[in-house]
Amino acid sequence: MSNIKQNASEEAEFAKPLYTPIKRRSFFMYAGATAGATALLLSGCDDDDNEIVTPNGTVNLGSGDVGVLNYAYALEQLEAAFYAQVKATPAADFSTLEKDYFSQVAAHEAIHRDFFKAAINRDAPGQIIPGLTPIFTSIDFTKRASVLATAKTFEDLGVAAYNGAGKYLKTPAYLVIAGQIVSVEARHAAYVRDLISPGSFADDSIIDANGLDKAMEPVDVVTAAQSFIKEKLDASRVGK
Amino acid sequence: MDFLNLLARLADLDSTTAAPQLAAPRRAALGRLGQAGTALLPGLLLSALSQPATAGTLDTRTRLDVLVLVRQLAALGNELHSRALGLVAGYPALPLTATEKAGIQVIQQQEAQRVTLFSQLITDGGATLPTTPRYDFTGSKNSAQTALYPDIQTNPATYLLVAQVVKDVAVRVYKSQVDFVRADAYLTETLLRSHSAEARHASHLRTLRRQRGVAVKSWVSPDDAPVPATSPAIAKVYEGESGFIQTYNASDASGQGGALVSVPFDSTLPINVATPPLSAEAILRKVAEAFDEPADAIVATNVAALFTY
Repeated sequence: MSNIKQNASEEAEFAKPLYTPIKRRSFFMYAGATAGATALLLSGCDDDDNEIVTPNGTVNLGSGDVGVLNYAYALEQLEAAFYAQVKATPAADFSTLEKDYFSQVAAHEAIHRDFFKAAINRDAPGQIIPGLTPIFTSIDFTKRASVLATAKTFEDLGVAAYNGAGKYLKTPAYLVIAGQIVSVEARHAAYVRDLISPGSFADDSIIDANGLDKAMEPVDVVTAAQSFIKEKLDASRVGK
Repeated sequence: MDFLNLLARLADLDSTTAAPQLAAPRRAALGRLGQAGTALLPGLLLSALSQPATAGTLDTRTRLDVLVLVRQLAALGNELHSRALGLVAGYPALPLTATEKAGIQVIQQQEAQRVTLFSQLITDGGATLPTTPRYDFTGSKNSAQTALYPDIQTNPATYLLVAQVVKDVAVRVYKSQVDFVRADAYLTETLLRSHSAEARHASHLRTLRRQRGVAVKSWVSPDDAPVPATSPAIAKVYEGESGFIQTYNASDASGQGGALVSVPFDSTLPINVATPPLSAEAILRKVAEAFDEPADAIVATNVAALFTY
């Protein structure tokens, strides 16, 4: 025991001359780290990468996979809110069958929205965007034509959004789940388009000469959707 | 790409008895792609290695495999619809309404466009196209066996049923194939765009059937009138589609690990979409509709095999 103690103190004595230089070196390490931390802090002030909602009310969707999930969550929120309104105040000229179908679509979109909410909260706690405030003043919910036109816009936009964002997903499971959702959106889109004009389910306004559906980049989708959302969305870092 | 992953993947390959005669043509095709030295090459070779290992499966497909598969499905659809429209010699047009005909023409033309696109992607990569198969949509293999759909060339209802099945299975299988091309952003996006176009077609074909009085929605639903299981391959198309429980991997950013987590739609999530509120069972039926399920490539190739000989 005493031997060990002695050794320990001997080692301590032996180490002493080295001690100061190490300390000096570690001081520089700390100094460097502090400088780094300060830089981080400053960059945090410069842009709003780490804040979900900035003081001016912009909602930052975030980056990487979480950014893509938040992006999908934002679009599903918009769709769910729209169909909830369609269901609550159905257009007078909707047929009973159409009313029933739209209440089903409303359920699908609410389920998609809640799925993303659950997934983001579980996989990326604290990084979820808040509930968004829809602006539907341009839509006349009492008129079938107005509702169908908006539904077509939202469904086509949703399909193009998923198609364009898939390549940014790094987690294979997310790519599969996005695929599971986008095909249902495409089925909705085709259904709504056929209601507006039979046979327009895949017309050349959305399918190109290679037989491929549309794909849009996140910033372009957000630009197209922005007039329906009160909060300004920042999709510039989605998937990056 | 981490080394352990690669090891796990190799171990997977070792521990199974893959038919060597199947592996050889694939290697030969890869070799041809290598000689071509096109832009397809680096990603193609990498893609075989850069996918995360999936324990217990041998479905390790190259980008070429995926392209050949989606081309096969598009070609099959093109032939099915072309015959229904009377575009193929020896097959008179089905008595479809003008509206039905217009929609099916759209589908047929987009199938043909995608055959062209996928063919070009395959040949640009230096691989050769598979020979064109012989089709028999009655399922009799040119009268070698009892027909599954004897009146498909005369009865629109039978044709539309088969058309729906072929589309629904394509929509399922695309979902599992995208993962095999993830290393290539162009191909990932191309497959996704083709996938959603397929889903639009499936929706329209279902709408046409509904207009003819069949109890079927534009999306896959537990409420759909069941598709008669004329063969095990057909039964597989809708197997597992009524998944009431959606799960996701709680994976980290690298896509590794993570247990399957089921989303508690029936209990804790506030799905307030009906007044009075839906029962838990009713909500779960809606969950089944809200997600299309993925399926392995073999589910589609088995369906295609029914109609080729």
